[in-house]
Amino acid sequence: MQTLNKLTKRIMAICLFALISTVTKAQETTTVVDSSLLDRVNTLEKEASYIKPEESHLMAVGLLTFGYVSNKTTVTYNGSSSVSKTNSIGDADHFEFSPMFLWRHGKKFLMEFEPSFNVDGVGVNWAVASYYATPGLILRGGYLVLPFGTYNKRLAAGWINKLASDPEGIADASDFGVEAEGGIQAGTTKWSYDFALSNGMQLQPDGTTQFIGITDNNKNKLFTGRIGFLPLANSSIEVGASLMTGKVGDAGLKYQNANATLWALDLNLVENLSPFQLNIKGQYSEAKVDNAEYTDPNNPTNTYTFNNHTKTGYIMAALRPMFSQNDFVKNFELAARFGNYTTPANSLWGTKDNSLAFSLNYWMNWRTVVRFSYEAIKGTSTVSQSLGGNPGEITKSNSAYIQFCIEL
Amino acid sequence: MKILNNKKLTILSILVLMIGSMMLVLNSCTASQKISMKSGAQLWAENCQRCHNTPSPSTFTPEQWETVGMHMQSRALLTETEKNKIVEFLSQ
Repeated sequence: MQTLNKLTKRIMAICLFALISTVTKAQETTTVVDSSLLDRVNTLEKEASYIKPEESHLMAVGLLTFGYVSNKTTVTYNGSSSVSKTNSIGDADHFEFSPMFLWRHGKKFLMEFEPSFNVDGVGVNWAVASYYATPGLILRGGYLVLPFGTYNKRLAAGWINKLASDPEGIADASDFGVEAEGGIQAGTTKWSYDFALSNGMQLQPDGTTQFIGITDNNKNKLFTGRIGFLPLANSSIEVGASLMTGKVGDAGLKYQNANATLWALDLNLVENLSPFQLNIKGQYSEAKVDNAEYTDPNNPTNTYTFNNHTKTGYIMAALRPMFSQNDFVKNFELAARFGNYTTPANSLWGTKDNSLAFSLNYWMNWRTVVRFSYEAIKGTSTVSQSLGGNPGEITKSNSAYIQFCIEL
Repeated sequence: MKILNNKKLTILSILVLMIGSMMLVLNSCTASQKISMKSGAQLWAENCQRCHNTPSPSTFTPEQWETVGMHMQSRALLTETEKNKIVEFLSQ
């Protein structure tokens, strides 16, 4: 029996030794494997942290403006009138489907791209990359919305605009260029600046100007800038002044030094007067292009000239019982806008227009609206008879809109 | 001096002065205590309505608000502090 016990103890001791040896060896092996794995894991973690969700983010938003318009236009000249009527689904002037892609990389870089499908087909509203350099400085390059006034850059979207149509005379101003902008707090007041350099505009054969696109027509660059000032601590009032200037002539041609200078003043007031919110917005601008001689399209051997000076402005007021206790009533909004647009007399596009528009809006939520709008525009032609025009001809345009706008 | 004629030099000088002034303003401007004490909710109410209705916080996720915040900082030319406070409020 003692012999058996001794044998059992020896076997157990051998097993224990074997077990300890195996574990020790396994631990040694594990240690070696862990070391190499840790290096690899560290490398992968560094790579992963570069693209972890909170650092890089792509999202799509966008807007749709869709509607119906019934228009009656009456043209009167020398006592005789002609009338035309149209009813259009889709509202060709204002239909727009524009998805917008925002691609953020960390907190310093943002890429923005907004293609747009409208009456002109498929185009691009803007396509830019921005670098948030310091707290008060954003640098940008690409296809920009130029900082001239506030309408194009902030207010033109259907779901933001309070009326169905755009104010007359505010042309799209997007161009290829670079931009620097920022907002600065100074005590209780606030300033903003926005400067851009871009390829610029080209003088057309009729004296109008058009943005030239990605290839410039001269060596000069267009400067556009706006300074904004918010004098009150609650940011309820903003006034701004803008300047746009640059050569518009084609290099090597007669009017290569022709210059265009535009300036604008803008106003924004939002005041909460319980139970109402009052919203007043306005913009006034003038454009002057250096005098040049243009070819008469009716008689190419003749040239003509005119004072190439355009003025345009609008003032808009909206009132909404936003703070009413009634959930239905608080979603209604009334808006009105008066506009004036005067283009150069004795040009092919000379006119003096006055417009008046009203709108009743119903907000389905903060970014979805159905509106019923009416707009009357009275234009008086200032095209000279020598160019084949009918000076004094009056065009009255009356339009009724039903419009749906959403931003997603 | 063919490349830089008098007109170009004037414009360049004005630009340099403008940028210099802007940098001075950037470095010297500080928010008053009244402004510094503002909450994200107050800044959200004051600034968004300058152009459009105030958005509901539930519209986007915190990650999306960070991206939208950068977009709006540029559109409305918000200060960095305003943007950060508004995004923080909307992300709660």
